Amino acid sequence: MTPSPLAQIVTVAAYEIRKYIRGRRLLGMLILLGLIVGLFVGLPPALGIKYASTPDAFISTFATFSGLLVVLGGVLFAADALVSEHEKRTGYFLFPNPVRREVLVLGKIVASLIVCTAVLSLYYGAAAIAALIITGSLTWEVGLSYLYTLGYMTAVVGVAYLLSALLKGTVAATVLTFFLFTLIFSIIGGILPRANVEPWFIPTSASGIIANALGGPAVRPGPGGGDVGFIPDPATSLLVFAGYAIAGGVLAILWYGRRELAS
Amino acid sequence: MEAVVQQPITRDAPVRLEGLGKEYGHFTALKALDLTVAEGTSLGFLGPNGAGKSTTIKIMTNLIRPSRGRAALFGIDVRREPTRALARIGAVIETPEFYGYLSPLETLAYAGRLRGMSSKDLRSRSEAVLKEVKLTEWADHRIQEFSKGMKQRLAIAQSLLHEPDLLILDEPTSGLDPRGMAEVRDVIKSLKDQGRTIFMSSHLLGEVQEVCDDVALLNHGELLIRGSVRELSRGADTSTIQATFLHPATPQDLEALAGLPGVEEVKPSSDSTVDLRITGGQEGQARVLEGMIARGLKVITYRPLGSSLEQLYLDRIQESDRL
Repeated sequence: MTPSPLAQIVTVAAYEIRKYIRGRRLLGMLILLGLIVGLFVGLPPALGIKYASTPDAFISTFATFSGLLVVLGGVLFAADALVSEHEKRTGYFLFPNPVRREVLVLGKIVASLIVCTAVLSLYYGAAAIAALIITGSLTWEVGLSYLYTLGYMTAVVGVAYLLSALLKGTVAATVLTFFLFTLIFSIIGGILPRANVEPWFIPTSASGIIANALGGPAVRPGPGGGDVGFIPDPATSLLVFAGYAIAGGVLAILWYGRRELAS
Repeated sequence: MEAVVQQPITRDAPVRLEGLGKEYGHFTALKALDLTVAEGTSLGFLGPNGAGKSTTIKIMTNLIRPSRGRAALFGIDVRREPTRALARIGAVIETPEFYGYLSPLETLAYAGRLRGMSSKDLRSRSEAVLKEVKLTEWADHRIQEFSKGMKQRLAIAQSLLHEPDLLILDEPTSGLDPRGMAEVRDVIKSLKDQGRTIFMSSHLLGEVQEVCDDVALLNHGELLIRGSVRELSRGADTSTIQATFLHPATPQDLEALAGLPGVEEVKPSSDSTVDLRITGGQEGQARVLEGMIARGLKVITYRPLGSSLEQLYLDRIQESDRL
């Protein structure tokens, strides 16, 4: 008897996570993560610079890079999850099984969220341990910054899945996801304030709350070196993250459900 | 369309295609296909490349949507209820790729869990199907090391895993060496003997003749012939015979051969060998041989080139191409 959709989602997610564990992407991500933590912890004493004295200030340096890690997570663990079934022809094995396309997409999204959460948790965990050792304390704001990072990650994963459902090649999906969040959204978020439009709806602008929670730089210079940036308040930012995550995920499910495996 | 023998059709036939059509932009891959496969029979779905065979199979397995008509498996519309419709089938479509990071055992476990198989069933069935396709020794190796032929064997194994009532096979011997092809045919024949329904596309007529009871011939998205292999072979009137003579045939000999009753075409293939297209079935072939001997030609060999069904296949394809 065909199992329930929930049981099938768990099965799909388990095999997707196995893919990430056995592939080189997770290993590469963990090496990068170790490198960042190592540089932040090891470089100041090597250069004779003092560490920040408060845990918030110490971790805010980590937080400025968490946005990039989130985008890399979306690129490596989400952007090609759907399109690769077509491009690599594994869909010919997977799709004739008695499982609905939306169940497959949901299972893959769950896997992406779990793997990205694990990576970001490791990053923040390492930063928190380092902060505890070096400054001797931790604050709730560190946890808040971590939660905001996870919120931003859901938005990135949602959009990455939409692109994966829409585009025909894995390269296009991964490259577009990367540049959308590192370049395109940032440019739009930097230019809109000059036209007196507050870019509250741009996820990269909203991601400013990650560093802001720790008292980090509240102003993001625009591409022209401008001095005015815009970061929405936390509630708006979280709503923006949720909007992108849900809209991206739902549209990905709808589009992928109609996508044909023709060649 | 020529229908020789129609199988009895039940209400919930394993395969029922009604007015099935598919367009890719302006290209019509499938016109309006009506086809039913009765339980326990094996149908060879024949046609040249681009005839619409894969399109039909992809619609049947919910990989693509039909532009019109419907496909039902065991009475369940594939488009409306794909999960229920696909529950009782096993399919091999083209040469599928598998996840390189998994082993055959893990791949079968993935497919089995999606189908709700218990761990105990999965273990025993996985062992059995891997043995059947001769992949037991490779059960724990990563698939990324596998050749195309090994992947094709694994594809067949996963299609058999849950002991489906209907097997849909799209050119199942594609990518296999001659020995592998023969082994896969044996597997399919044994499944047929177990009473399973088989829907198998192929462009290899010999393969279909060996494995299937019935045949459906498709070209340009249209059904040309549907009937039992035996009846169609018997009913096929034209065959090609290759005759070899002791001495080279002269132009006069060739002219005389062309004039024999039943001879439609004479084509020399070497100095002393000619290919003759003959109508009239086996009696026609006997009359032509008598005519050759009467003319004084010393015939060394006189043998059919391919089967009468093959000739029928080629004739119908050519006819359909001309239209």
